[in-house]
Amino acid sequence: MGANTVLKTRNNQVVLQLIISGVVIVAMIVFGVIMLLAQGGVIELSAAAFYQMLTIHGTGMIGAAALAGSAVMWYFLDHYVNLSKKIFNTNLICFLIGVVMVIIGVFSFEYASGWTFLYPLPALSAGAWGTVGALLYLGGMLLIGVGFLLLFIDTGRAIIQKYGSLGKGLGWDVIAGKKSELDAPPAAVVASTMVTIVNISALTAGATVLVMNIINVVNPAITFDPLLAKNLTYAFGHIFANSTIYMAVVAVYEILSRATNRPWKSNKPFLIAWTSSTILTMIVYPHHLLMDSVMPKWILVMGQVLSYANGLPVLIITAYGALMIVYKSGIKWEMPSALMFLSMFGWTSGAIPAIVDATIVVNHVMHNTKWVPGHFHLYMGLGVVAMVFGFMYYLAKNDSSIQTNGMDRFAFVVYLLSMLGVSGSFLVSGAISTPRRFATHIPEWMGPAQFGAYSGILVALALSIFIIHFVRYLVVRRKALPTTGRAQQGMI
Amino acid sequence: MKQMIGGGILFLLLGIPFTIVFLESMMVIHMLVQIPLLILAGWLMGAGVLQKFPRFFANWNGNGVSGILLVSIILMYWMLPRAMDEALLGGWIELFKFISLPVAGLFIRDSWTKLKTNGKSFVFLNFLSMFGLMGWLYMDAPIQLCNNYLELEQKALGWGFLAITLAMILYLLQNVFMDHSGREHEPL
Ligand code: HEM
Ligand SMILES: [Cu+2]
Repeated sequence: MGANTVLKTRNNQVVLQLIISGVVIVAMIVFGVIMLLAQGGVIELSAAAFYQMLTIHGTGMIGAAALAGSAVMWYFLDHYVNLSKKIFNTNLICFLIGVVMVIIGVFSFEYASGWTFLYPLPALSAGAWGTVGALLYLGGMLLIGVGFLLLFIDTGRAIIQKYGSLGKGLGWDVIAGKKSELDAPPAAVVASTMVTIVNISALTAGATVLVMNIINVVNPAITFDPLLAKNLTYAFGHIFANSTIYMAVVAVYEILSRATNRPWKSNKPFLIAWTSSTILTMIVYPHHLLMDSVMPKWILVMGQVLSYANGLPVLIITAYGALMIVYKSGIKWEMPSALMFLSMFGWTSGAIPAIVDATIVVNHVMHNTKWVPGHFHLYMGLGVVAMVFGFMYYLAKNDSSIQTNGMDRFAFVVYLLSMLGVSGSFLVSGAISTPRRFATHIPEWMGPAQFGAYSGILVALALSIFIIHFVRYLVVRRKALPTTGRAQQGMI
Repeated sequence: MKQMIGGGILFLLLGIPFTIVFLESMMVIHMLVQIPLLILAGWLMGAGVLQKFPRFFANWNGNGVSGILLVSIILMYWMLPRAMDEALLGGWIELFKFISLPVAGLFIRDSWTKLKTNGKSFVFLNFLSMFGLMGWLYMDAPIQLCNNYLELEQKALGWGFLAITLAMILYLLQNVFMDHSGREHEPL
């Protein structure tokens, strides 16, 4: 198992992707704060500017989470299977070019459909933006998607090469009793297999709708069935956004098992949980369509019932595993392990409001209120983001001798409380029926928005302190490690 | 050699005016029978061409990427409703069809063996989403896309594309979940 492998990495690109993601996250928070200040009536912001910021915030956050998550996953997976560095590199290049296109489309050409680019909005903006903005945005997203598609094709190829098939990567032969639990694929491989499967599906669906939108933007006379478009769009959006946590969670397994010097066991319950979540993640997206009365009833009922269970198998097995692995382990709490533990808390507490909202009766009230951002800011802001920064602390600790100090611990507490503040303010807004994605609020809705804005500023500060620690590591690293290469990476 | 002759015969058969009229009389057959058969003819004839000019193909299509790029462009062009429409008018466009598609077949033959697993998978997934989109386009378009074919025929073609997409998905699923361990070749 991974626990006794020594990981000394000099992978420059992993580090590069992390620092880019970290900085992007903080930058996007600034837009988040501005949006909340505007909603809270503190500052004036034109509706157009608000929606541009909403678009860039959503796109940027999901993109940064995916970029960082894939770096985490790649870093650990690369120790078990033979991945292609060239493809990893190509993905980053596609990502950066795509991001530039998206930014130009949004800010220079005022494209503002939200990150979900729901058909037929890209082409029907009522004059808010033109063809060029839409094409830049959609084209940029397509390019980012192409990069990630290549990345997951490569992880799939490597897993099949080593383990025989994607089913075996998920440990199906162990589940079936044909192989002993001792020979089960490591947790990192199981998680990566799941992500490979769901994201290849998501990205092919995403490419189809993106090109469809592009055709429609170029020639609005050619129209498509909006309901099918919505299905494909949310299949893509739901799966891709969710996958960020399944990529980043690899860090939880690897880091906690090293911190406690115990292996993270891929036993049968663990494997069954991951297989269940693979299937559930792909079929629960209809919970985004609960208001579409034209959808067949049974699909919506399925969407609701299964949403209760969506992330739960993996969440429960991971949270339980995390508790068990530290229990009586004599673990010394440091930033990496503390952030990993915190992420379990954030993920779990983020799942609860989601489950509440996935109930059709509740959804009729809560749908499109700020309750929804409330739940995903919890599990992304306190789940994925905690995993990513925890991994950054882990790298710094593992590869260098720089120490964390009181500032880092202080930032940890501030981050925890203020991120709870941001998410909590969204949930409160939702509970008092504030609609989401409204540029302006009536006075009754302003209080929570203001509170969220001030909490958001603190989140940005705390994360900046995390980043400073990572930059200190980068500086040391530059001096200490002049050369790179596969052989020197401590590959096993 | 046998393949080359077979391809040549197929190509000639496809070129008979009677076959042309017949195969182009219906949209589905035009798109999903005539065009693939032209590609097949090129693929078969390719056997000889590749043997004759190995140097040329090694120089220009060493890793298969440029070849498959050319193939994609040709096929994308022929998926446009407008291209089919113009071919029906006969003349240059029709001639272009009879040249470009066999060339695509030739390059498929040359490139597919040269591409690595990742490249093949990428091409495969691209065509998968492209065919899915085409199915959707032809089934859903509220307007008649071609001057020469009716909307009803468009729908039939859409179903055809959808069937191909589903077949590709099934193939993909069995491929990635089938056990490849102990085999020499790489998975798709
Ligand atoms: C920590 C400070 C943050 C603040 C102040 C903030 C603020 C906001 C605001 C005001 C909205 C719009 C809410 C509305 O619909 O009215 C929003 C939406 C969103 N945020 Fe954040 N956010 C923060 C962090 C994050 C993080 C860490 C992520 C993900 C990693 C994230 C992802 C998103 C997404 C995906 C949306 C949805 C955009 C849409 O509706 O199209 N945010 N955020
Ligand atoms: Cu969802």
